[in-house]
Amino acid sequence: MGMMVARDRSNIERTAEATGEYAIETSELVKVYKEGQIKALNGLDLKIHRGEIYALIGANGSGKSTAINLITGSIFPTSGSIRVLGYEVPQKRHLVATQIGVAPQEYAIYNDLSVEQNIWFFARLQGMNRTQLEKRMAELLPIFRLDERRKTSANELSGGMKRRLSVVCALIHRPKILFLDEATVGIDPVLREFFWDYFRALCGEGLTIVVTSHVMDEAERADRVGLMREGKLIEEGTPGEVKCRHSVESIEEVFIKLSKGVVIDG
Amino acid sequence: MVKVKSFSALRVAAVCWRVMRQISRDRRTLAMMLIMPAVIMLIFGFALGGQVEHIPVLVENQDAGYTLPATAGGESFHYGDALLTSLKTDDRVAVHEGDYFSKTAVDKGTYFAAIDVPANFSQILAMKSDGQNLNATIIVYVDSTSPTTEASVIGALQTALQMSLGSSGVTVDEQFAFGGTQFSGLDVSLPAIIAFVLTFLVLLISLIIVSREGTSGTLPRLYTTPLSAMERLLGYALALLALGVLMVAVVLAICIGIFGVVVEGSFALLFGVAVLYALVHVFLAIFLSNFAKNELQAVQLAPLIALPSMALSGMLIPVSSFPDWVEGIAHFVPMYYGVELFQGVMLKGYSVGQLSFELGVVTLMAVIFLALAAITVKDRITA
Repeated sequence: MGMMVARDRSNIERTAEATGEYAIETSELVKVYKEGQIKALNGLDLKIHRGEIYALIGANGSGKSTAINLITGSIFPTSGSIRVLGYEVPQKRHLVATQIGVAPQEYAIYNDLSVEQNIWFFARLQGMNRTQLEKRMAELLPIFRLDERRKTSANELSGGMKRRLSVVCALIHRPKILFLDEATVGIDPVLREFFWDYFRALCGEGLTIVVTSHVMDEAERADRVGLMREGKLIEEGTPGEVKCRHSVESIEEVFIKLSKGVVIDG
Repeated sequence: MVKVKSFSALRVAAVCWRVMRQISRDRRTLAMMLIMPAVIMLIFGFALGGQVEHIPVLVENQDAGYTLPATAGGESFHYGDALLTSLKTDDRVAVHEGDYFSKTAVDKGTYFAAIDVPANFSQILAMKSDGQNLNATIIVYVDSTSPTTEASVIGALQTALQMSLGSSGVTVDEQFAFGGTQFSGLDVSLPAIIAFVLTFLVLLISLIIVSREGTSGTLPRLYTTPLSAMERLLGYALALLALGVLMVAVVLAICIGIFGVVVEGSFALLFGVAVLYALVHVFLAIFLSNFAKNELQAVQLAPLIALPSMALSGMLIPVSSFPDWVEGIAHFVPMYYGVELFQGVMLKGYSVGQLSFELGVVTLMAVIFLALAAITVKDRITA
C-alpha cells in the first residue's frame, strides 16, 4: 500500500448540519492543568482531513492524550477552539458524541459482562436497537475474531481479545471518526496487518481515524503523521515527506531526532 | 548451589512493610481507620451512657381526697397528691398533668404513658387501712413498643407509690396501647433491625457498584458517548433501587415468614416505606461515591455511616433521653426516621396520615441526596 493514497473525496458522507472541510480542526488550543503548573497543550493547531488516517505521535507527556480528550469533549480547554465534523466542541459535544468512537488505552470494557453484553451496552448508548445490533455484530465479530467468544465473560479474554472488543465497542455505531489510543498494542502481528487493511477499507468509506501511538511502525501506515512535543505540533506530513525532510529511513529515527533533549517522564 | 530458606522472616517483614506503606499512602483510609473508631465509640458512649430519663408521661390525678367521719377523728387524706409529688421528683419521667381520656396522645407518640388516679383513690385506701377488703387501682395506659421505656415508667410509678404510701397494696393495671398487645422483644427489635440492615447493605452494595465504574477505566469512555451525567446517575439509581427492593423483599419475608412478626398496619405501606427508605440510601451512596477514590474507600463509608446511625436512631435507647445536643444530631439521621416509620407501621398500625411527618422528612432527604448527587456527579475528566 502506498504511503500517499489518492482519495476520492466525493464519496465522503456529510450530514446536513456537519459541514466544514476538516474532520477535526483545532486552533491555538491551550490546556493548563492545576492552576498553571502544568501546560499540557501550548497552542496546538491540528487539521485532520475527512477520510484520512492520522497518526499523532510523541513521547509520553507530549500532550497526545490531552489533545484527544479535548477533541472528544472529555475535558474543557483553557483557551483556543475545536471543531469536530463542523461542530464546536465542547459546546456541541453531545452531537459529536454520536459521531465518534473512542477505544481508549485502558481497555475500558466491563469485565463482568460478556462480549456481546459489552457491545450491547455501548450500542444502546448510541440508540441502536436489537436488530441493528445483530446485523452490525454479524459484520464486526468475525473481522475481529470474536464470533466464537460472544458469550464469554470479558475477564476471561486475553489482553489482545480485550483490545479487539474495545475497538468493536467503538465501531459498533458506525462512527465518522475513530480514535485509537495505542489500540493495536497487544495484538499479534498477523492480526494487526489484517486490522490495518480493514481500517484502510473503512477510510475508503469515509471514516476518519486518529491513532495515537508510540509504536512507530503504526505511524508508517498512516496517511499523515503529526509529531507532538511539549504540547505543540513540531512536525507534520505524510510519512514519506517527514522522513525525506530529515533524511532518515524511518519515522522512528525522526521521532528520536526530534525528541532529543526532552525529558521523557513516562 | 544457592540455598534458599524455606521460611524467611525477611520476606515476611517485606510483605508487612509493603502493606503498611500501602495503608500509609492512602491517607483517606488511614484517617478513616483512626477517626472511625473514635467517632463510633464517642457516639455509642453518649447514646448508651445516658440514663433513660425525662420520659413524657401524662397523669390525671382525679383523687378527691377523703376525710374520715368526725367520729373517726376527722383526718384528711390526699394520697393522689402525695403520689403525684413523688412521681414529679423522679428523673425517669417528665410528668404532664392532664385529662386521662386524652390517652390517644400515647397512640400518637406524644406521651409514652397515661396514668389515671381514680377519684376514690384516697377513700379506698383509707377504708382499706380501716380493715375493709378493697383495692385501689391505678390505670396505666402504656406504649410497650420500647421495653426499656416501659420498664422505666412502671419502675418510676412503683417507686413513687412506695415513697408516698408505703407498702399499702395498690394494683397497677397496665393497659397496652396499639391494640392492647404486649410486644415481644423480637417484635420491638425487628423494625429497628430492618432499618439498620437496609441502611448498611444498600449503602454498601451501592457504593461498591458505583465506585467500580470509576476504577474500571470505563468512565472516560462514557464521557465520549451521548450518555449524560444525569442519565448515568438515574441509571445507577434505578438498578440499585431494583436491588434495594429485592433486599427489602428478602428481609420482610424472613421477618414475617420465619419469625411471624405481626404487622399491625398495612403491608403495602410497609413495603412502600421500605422502598422509599432504601432509595434515600441509594442516592446517598451515589453522592458519597464521588468522595471515594477506590472501592476500598467506598466500602469503608458504609459502616462509617451505618454504625453511628444505629446509635443515634433510638433503636438502642430512646432519642428523648439523649443529651439535648445529641438529640439534635439524631434528627438529621435517616435511620432515626426509618426506625420511627418501621415501628409505626409494624407495631403501632399507623396509616400514611399518621406517618406523614416522617414520610415527608425521608422524602425530603431523598430529594436532597439526589440533588447533591446531581450537583457533584462528574460529566468529564477532572484534572
